[in-house]
Amino acid sequence: MVRETRLVVISPLSEITPDQITRKVHSLGYEVTVKETCYGAVLEGPPETVSKVMQELRALDPLGIYSKIRGFPLGDPKRCRAQHGSRPGFSQLQTEWQSLSLVEKGLECALRGDKAEDIDIPERIPVKDLQRFCEEVE
Amino acid sequence: MKIFIDPPNSLILFDLVERFGHEPLSVMATIQERVDNLEIDMPPMNVTLTDVKNGLKYAGIEVPSGIRGRLAVWGPLIDQAEAAIIMEDAPYSFGCVGCHRTNLLVDFLVRKRKLPTIEIDYPRTEEDARNMVIRVKEFLEGLK
Amino acid sequence: MIKIAQLSCGTEYSGVQYEIEKASRAVGAKMVYPDVEASQIDRSIRDFGFNPVSPQLKLMIARAVHLAEGRYDADAVFIATCFRCAEGALVRNELRRYIQEHTDLPVVTYSFTERMKANQLLTRMEALVTIVSRKELLARERQIGITAGIDSGSTTTKAVVMVDNKIVGKAWTGSGEVLESAQTTLNEALAEAGLKMSDLEAIGTTGYGRFTIGKQMNAKLVQEELTTNSKGAVWLADRQRGEATILDIGGMDNKAITVRDGIPDNFTMGGICAGASGRFLEIVSRRLKVEVTELGALADQGDWRKINMNSYCSVFGIQDLVTSLAEGNTRADVAAAACHSVAEQIYEQQLQEIDVRDPVIQVGGTSLISGMVYAVGEILGKAPIVPPDSQFIGAVGGALLSSGFLEG
Repeated sequence: MVRETRLVVISPLSEITPDQITRKVHSLGYEVTVKETCYGAVLEGPPETVSKVMQELRALDPLGIYSKIRGFPLGDPKRCRAQHGSRPGFSQLQTEWQSLSLVEKGLECALRGDKAEDIDIPERIPVKDLQRFCEEVE
Repeated sequence: MKIFIDPPNSLILFDLVERFGHEPLSVMATIQERVDNLEIDMPPMNVTLTDVKNGLKYAGIEVPSGIRGRLAVWGPLIDQAEAAIIMEDAPYSFGCVGCHRTNLLVDFLVRKRKLPTIEIDYPRTEEDARNMVIRVKEFLEGLK
Repeated sequence: MIKIAQLSCGTEYSGVQYEIEKASRAVGAKMVYPDVEASQIDRSIRDFGFNPVSPQLKLMIARAVHLAEGRYDADAVFIATCFRCAEGALVRNELRRYIQEHTDLPVVTYSFTERMKANQLLTRMEALVTIVSRKELLARERQIGITAGIDSGSTTTKAVVMVDNKIVGKAWTGSGEVLESAQTTLNEALAEAGLKMSDLEAIGTTGYGRFTIGKQMNAKLVQEELTTNSKGAVWLADRQRGEATILDIGGMDNKAITVRDGIPDNFTMGGICAGASGRFLEIVSRRLKVEVTELGALADQGDWRKINMNSYCSVFGIQDLVTSLAEGNTRADVAAAACHSVAEQIYEQQLQEIDVRDPVIQVGGTSLISGMVYAVGEILGKAPIVPPDSQFIGAVGGALLSSGFLEG
């Protein structure tokens, strides 16, 4: 059987809880496995079923629920934290999870039809100016 | 369209690409195929000596094995991509994206293919994020 | 279960992670990976002071800092990065120093290619496990009773019989069929001692053939050569206390081991290039038409500077030497150049992996080649100690350590 394992990640701004996600999955009655995690849930099952479940989950909070697939199957001892320390991707997931509140706000603007603005990134100051500042400090 | 995302394990990029109707080419999918391949017994990633040798297609023998092995996994994704999103300055991430030299080479290989590509920075502020998401949305919608 | 903390970059993508875990399992140990919170990484990097660009190397540093701070429990440390990665090599070496300065954990470093297999790591892993699990045995400084040690090396097989902390019989022969060579040398050593096989109270075996011989002779100790040779070397050199570096240039493997009170705490083992081995000196001897035992005296009379040797390689290096002879250089100069080449390659490729501590005790068959000892001394800037019977370190270590089983 071809499996798909998928991380469901709830944005820090969302009111949805991991428990609601798992209950929703159970209530759908599809043949997928779901496991609650600190950032949301992990789904596993045939790709088409996982995709259908994902659509339903996104509907709970379209801008608050994010997902990506995961390489290793659920509970794989090769990637178990107790055995190997954190998974290599875990710290990135942690950091990206924190940034989801920013992405959520960005999505709001994008879906509203806002246009991107050019942000000026200041250039490095000329060496002469730096020299002048140094002399002033002296 | 098939969109190569870089970093190839990014949650944010994977989600945005799917959300706007495209297929993200991620390293996780490749790893999934590898770890499910019961014929190979080289855990955890099932990256084998042959893979590392195949990596020679992307980088020469004088290049460390870790780079060639990574390229053996990602290279085919870059080869089949129809467009790409490169996110610079992404936060700490280990494992597959743990080698900076590999990441530099991957950026280069993507640019060399001259695909429709958008390069963005990892957002630090709300304003950054707003611009980043709007640009990615416009880019992905423009591909249709 | 002995826990070996793995600090590494690139192993999973080089196809060698499985080999590392296989080697550790084979010696009854388990690889562990100190868990580090992402939020702790920046702090660890700041404390350590080296900020590499590659994230995985940052993680390696954070893991090492956690070990040093006692936030994670392990018995030994294995540090590995990809061969040819400069950033990785810098971090690997500095982390090894850091671990040695901040912990008492034995550590081994390794620079791997995709071709690394578990058996290349076995001896190293076994030594790590021995250092952790056999502390009491390794602390033994005196041999007691009647014991024998057999060192079944790639080139020669050595046997020593010891009685009450004295060598009473010794013999060596070229390694042929493993069991036969072992029995022959042991019989000779026993004959010299005026003893019989049945007089032996314990036998210790080491070297490549240790398992086969150990099983056949019912040895009490079957031990890799890193710890056995260290014990033999410090016993022979009478340097059982304090620090020392043991340099063992063998027929195939070279070992450089740092010890504290006779117990190894860091070691490197090389076996990639024949040009840095005793084998190279044998080939040179053949070309110069001298016995390898006479090569040293010949080299003592020569000057390596007169020879233009552009390669360390045992094939191309020999070619340079032959060309030098054709150009009219003396055999003595060529012999000196060969010794210098081996010493220089060991210095450049192996001794950089450990911190050389004085005194350097040079042992193994090649320590009998005076030109080789001179070359090592010249490169290190100080003459090494060559103890008596320096080629018998493994056998002496085997006899000494196996006597530990006679008490209690």
